[in-house]
Amino acid sequence: MRTFIKYILAVSMMFCCWACLDEHPKDQLDQEAIYNNADNIYKNAVASLYNYIGSNQESEGLQGTCRGIYDYNTLTTDEAMNPIRGGDWYDGGLWENMYKHTWNANDMYLYNVWKYLFKVIVLSNQSLSVIDSHKQLLTAEQAENYKAEVRAVRALFYYYAMDMFGRIPIVTAYDVKPNQVVQSERSEVFKFIVKEFQKVAPQLADKHANKEGDYYGRITRPVVNFLLAKLALNAEIYADDDWTDEKKLDGKDIFFTVNGNKLNAWQTCVWYCDQLTQEGYELETDYASNFSVHNENSKENIFTIPLDKNLYLNEYHYLFRSRHYKHGGAYGGSSENGTCATVSTVKAYGYGTDHVDNRFKTNFYADTVFVDGKKIYLDNGKPLVYMPLELKLNLSDSPYKQTAGARVGKYEVDRTAYSDGRQVDNDIVLFRYGDALLMKAEAKVRNGEDGSIELNAIRDRVGMPHVESTLNNILKERLLELVWEGWRRQDLIRFGKYTKAYDQRIPIENENTGFTTVFPIPQKCLDLNKNLKQNKGYK
Amino acid sequence: MAKSKKNLSFLIMTLFCSSLVHAQNHVSAERKDSIDNGNYTFKELREHSNKGAANNALDVLSGQAAGVNVTSNGLDRMAMLNSVRVRGTTSIIGGNDPLVLIDGVTSDVLTLSTIYPADIESFRILKNAAETAMYGSRGASGVIEVKTKKGTGRGFQISYEGNVGFEQMYKHLDMLNAAEYVATAKALGIYCNNGGYNTDFYKVITRTGLVNNHYLAFSGGTPQSNYRASFGVIDHNTIIKKKDYGVFVAKLDVTQKAFNDKLTGDFGVFGSSFKNHDIFDTQMLFYSAACQNPTFPAGTDKNGNWIKNESATYINPPAILLEEKKDSKDMNFDAHIKLSYDFNSNWRISTFGSYLYSSTENGQFCPTWVWAQGNVYRGEFKKEEWLGNVAVNFNKKFGIHAISAEASSEYRKLNKSAFWVYAKGIPTNDFHYDNIGATASRPYGGTESTYEGQALASVMGSITYELLNKYVFSVNARSDGSSMVGNNNRWGFFPSVSFTWDLKKERFLAHIKPLSLLKIRSSLGQAGNLGGISAYTTMNTARQTGIVPIKNSPTVTLGMVKNNNPDLKWETKTTFNIGADVGFFDNRIMFTAEYYYSRTSDMLYAYEVPVPPFAYNTLLANIGAMSNRGFEFGLSMQPISKKDMELNFNMNLSFQSNKLISLSGEYKGMNMSAANITAIGSLNGAGQNGGDNNVVYQIVGQPLGVFYLPHCNGLIKNNDGNYSYNIQDLDNNGKVDLSDGGDRYIAGQATPKVTLGSNISFRYKDFYIALQMNGAFGHKIFNGTGLAFTNMTSFPDYNVLKDAPKKNIMDQRVSDYWLEKGNYLNFEHLTIGYNVPLKKNVIRSLRISCNISNLGTITGYKGLTPMINSYVMNSTMGIDDKRTYPLYRTYSLGLSVQF
Repeated sequence: MRTFIKYILAVSMMFCCWACLDEHPKDQLDQEAIYNNADNIYKNAVASLYNYIGSNQESEGLQGTCRGIYDYNTLTTDEAMNPIRGGDWYDGGLWENMYKHTWNANDMYLYNVWKYLFKVIVLSNQSLSVIDSHKQLLTAEQAENYKAEVRAVRALFYYYAMDMFGRIPIVTAYDVKPNQVVQSERSEVFKFIVKEFQKVAPQLADKHANKEGDYYGRITRPVVNFLLAKLALNAEIYADDDWTDEKKLDGKDIFFTVNGNKLNAWQTCVWYCDQLTQEGYELETDYASNFSVHNENSKENIFTIPLDKNLYLNEYHYLFRSRHYKHGGAYGGSSENGTCATVSTVKAYGYGTDHVDNRFKTNFYADTVFVDGKKIYLDNGKPLVYMPLELKLNLSDSPYKQTAGARVGKYEVDRTAYSDGRQVDNDIVLFRYGDALLMKAEAKVRNGEDGSIELNAIRDRVGMPHVESTLNNILKERLLELVWEGWRRQDLIRFGKYTKAYDQRIPIENENTGFTTVFPIPQKCLDLNKNLKQNKGYK
Repeated sequence: MAKSKKNLSFLIMTLFCSSLVHAQNHVSAERKDSIDNGNYTFKELREHSNKGAANNALDVLSGQAAGVNVTSNGLDRMAMLNSVRVRGTTSIIGGNDPLVLIDGVTSDVLTLSTIYPADIESFRILKNAAETAMYGSRGASGVIEVKTKKGTGRGFQISYEGNVGFEQMYKHLDMLNAAEYVATAKALGIYCNNGGYNTDFYKVITRTGLVNNHYLAFSGGTPQSNYRASFGVIDHNTIIKKKDYGVFVAKLDVTQKAFNDKLTGDFGVFGSSFKNHDIFDTQMLFYSAACQNPTFPAGTDKNGNWIKNESATYINPPAILLEEKKDSKDMNFDAHIKLSYDFNSNWRISTFGSYLYSSTENGQFCPTWVWAQGNVYRGEFKKEEWLGNVAVNFNKKFGIHAISAEASSEYRKLNKSAFWVYAKGIPTNDFHYDNIGATASRPYGGTESTYEGQALASVMGSITYELLNKYVFSVNARSDGSSMVGNNNRWGFFPSVSFTWDLKKERFLAHIKPLSLLKIRSSLGQAGNLGGISAYTTMNTARQTGIVPIKNSPTVTLGMVKNNNPDLKWETKTTFNIGADVGFFDNRIMFTAEYYYSRTSDMLYAYEVPVPPFAYNTLLANIGAMSNRGFEFGLSMQPISKKDMELNFNMNLSFQSNKLISLSGEYKGMNMSAANITAIGSLNGAGQNGGDNNVVYQIVGQPLGVFYLPHCNGLIKNNDGNYSYNIQDLDNNGKVDLSDGGDRYIAGQATPKVTLGSNISFRYKDFYIALQMNGAFGHKIFNGTGLAFTNMTSFPDYNVLKDAPKKNIMDQRVSDYWLEKGNYLNFEHLTIGYNVPLKKNVIRSLRISCNISNLGTITGYKGLTPMINSYVMNSTMGIDDKRTYPLYRTYSLGLSVQF
């Protein structure tokens, strides 16, 4: 019997040995294995970050999908709204809160935006640490160039995060402990971003990133120059650490070191805009061609999100979201009948007068709609007629519940699109030279100079008469030229108008302090990191 | 895309059945051995409860075992497969499905549902720590042990059982008909699209269902060498058009004894196939059937075009939706062998080995009528499992002492692989998913394959000591090792102890004649659980992160796709229970009562972590704690027991309460605290996409799944004559804030506090009648269907309930106005049968029966039915949101013959 028990024990032991508990994945690799040579380091540590510029996920991507950065910069302004249409588009008060500025720290989409922006920042930090720890596989030049590109991506995401949330944590290393994450003042974040861009710009290629080729979709020097111009133009805002007090900064007193020279904010903006001119950007003769299905050859676009319905995953939802069901139906898909231009926007274009801006037809669908030369008929047998002036925040009791509001146009309709028009081939335009010219005009005017050459170059292109380069005219021109491009919130804040009454909106309580010019730090972030403090004015 | 799950309800019935049955002494509540601690083996109760209507093992379980819950509305049996719970939810991450063992082979509810009830010899439900100890981590959420019938060794026998029946809808939501719809629009002065028809879309999507079950078994041999083989076929066309399923099962068991009966060998193979044509999107279908414009035609218009109500983007013509396909085919094969050798009366060694292979094939098809350009999907999911076990047993009696001991070790390996393709841009709607080559676009991410391997090893030892045949103590110690936890936490140690005292055998009770049974039992123990996680979570691995242009060509990039936790360890559940069994008058009246408390610690959960410094906002970690406590009470009576007449009554009640104790603690020396309030369920539909639409939450300090809602003080009349909800400013700050942290309060829980299962059977001579009931009490249901279908702002794009125009509410904000009590008592099955008396012995028995299922429900709930998902924590828990099946009954005739 003893021998027998021994035998049993031996069998059991064999069992346990056989019971090898190590894991051997087959459908995933050890992280070390993906950084085994210079090409793979570039691919997996640098290029992989470009997956996050656009998206097909709600609240992700710098533009293209819904309930993300674009919506918080567009539907919170006098440019556009997403009205309640009876049973549709109430969505728990989401769109109403955006338009009225009554969002709060529990807004889950703001949290999603935060998560998205910082995810890319943390992944960038990981990439930097990967490049550092694999230096032996890279030449010194490769290591420097790879790092420069990653740092530029990281600074890009910091720029959006600062613009939206103001006081945010600066995290630059990968192995940071949660309790080491603390917020910085907005001016510090601002200086950090400017410094990063200035530092890496010389190492980036001087190439047009919107064109197909080696630099397609990548951050190149012109992209950084454009961002530096933006940062300088908004320096008065970004350098202000207490945006709820009376005191405002003056761009003439904010200085940058540019190319060895000390320039004020406006001079800095002009300098970087001029860099873009030198880099060969120019206005396209046809305004609409920047947004055509195949806009990769635009001489004007600086940074785009590459879209190709068969190759990439990025999507563009704004036409789909905006047009009437029947309108989408006429293109062979469905639609959501949502977003509209506000009444004040169409009026700014001169809609309803004899002097309608020439860009109106490109930028909007209004009045009777034609597809392939044919009218679109509604269920009641009448043709579809959009009613731009009938728009209200709540259309539930309106006879124009379904048809009020001018709709999103601008991008050429891709008739071969998938997913009801969400998967198209038009690249999404993030930055373009037309904007740079308007920035330059504005910076010159703010610096006490005349900006009419740049301003009127924009108007000449679309055949509109010249106007005087006043700040008001420039702000208006920015609306006319850049509508649907996601800049309106930043522009209104810079002009001090974001917290004021406009279109059909009245300011909310205490909004005169300016607290709504940044969004609240999401409550979840505060709960998860006790170091973080809420922005002023939000409870 | 996951494996479709089926007839859970069947399982549940069986479970329930078993615990009830055990209470009856004549139902052969045989004790397995003394370690069992009050766990009985329940023989199928065909003799008495006669569940002729049960065409599925789950039906047998449903409502019959205390502490076992199934969402058994009898309507969507497939959905029930995911909802079997033994003593509630003890882990947030998952792994709450009980372990199902069929003849010792690891199985699942789906496979169990394919076994014909008549093939089942017995069910055993293991709930307490000491009982589940022998299964270790696999049994942490309870064990359902199924023993199937084997050859009897009494020569050749053959039996047939079958039933055929039909199903008929008897109730659906009462929406406006065409005339009322048009009149309402007219009265409101708004345009509505009058298509000129009067269509009842419920009729369009339903039919008379057909049920067909046939089962044949034969067995033969001698006590030393015997076999049993069985075949079963189930064909079920549900009341929803195009939703049907079919099952084919074959099973063979052989037993052989040798060496003077010292060696016993059991060999069995089992194969099943399950084909299911499901509804593509249940919510979309029933939402559309309710809300489609009733003046539209049932099918296409004269030109063959579907009339879409394009302003109603959340619905489609219901008949189109039936053209979508969501099919699955499950194949299951397993084989097991068990050899045991008795050296002498004290020593025995046994080995067990099993192999299991299962595959699920999915196919989906979305025609161009519903989705622009159309899309198709095909997927295959395969699973292979090897399990080996060696055990040594020792039994010995010395006078008043009896000792039994066992040592065993076990190894289990599980491999899962999957492959799927998603494509869009179809040239025709005629290929369905059968020609995926004829598609224009198969984007990145649309084709994938995955592989996962898991390994589990265990060693276990147990000793039981019995004194005077009255006191039983046992100690069990086991170590479980898993490949899925961190390298430094691989092995978990999980001990348990138990004690049983048979008081009736004490001298001081011996003279009390009416008392026939009195036993007290208690146990305390631990079990590890990893059920909710997958392999490789502790490793720093990389997968594809996307596709970007590099040097003008699309390139796939690899990288980190989640936060990794190399320190992951076992989630541990500690359970204490104490209970008693009391019987009177030869056990014609029996009570059982049991109290239990379990606490889950090192709870696995995808904890929310701060971004930055983490890249992703969740981290799988062991931090929090949760508790479950409850009281289970069973009663069985046999008031009449005569030769010609018999009356049986069984009932069990379970009181259960759950509490999420904490979600904060230490991780790597850092204090981590997850959010105290997390939304888990919200409404979907027109105007309800996101925003402040959350209804059910997970809140620390509360049971899992509570309603956290704004408070409504009735309706207020607006200037234009319609009504809105008068939402209270709970914090009196002058503003009504509907967001998560705003004016909301905890308004009730989604899981029932009490569940009831009961059956009554009566026999007079050869006739019998049996009724089975179940109930749930103390929970609430959010009537999201009522909220949406009453909201007049959706009209006329979406049809509304008959009483909606009168109520005239133009508001769709979520509040407790639509929160209702969910209490119900449901009459599940009624069976009337006749055992045909036979004189000749060619036919040994013949029985005919007729059955009605889903008889009716007593409830105060105003929605269609209170039997929604109230047990399984997911986004539908506690929310009745436009997805409930119309109610139907099943009528069937059964025949059972034995030769």
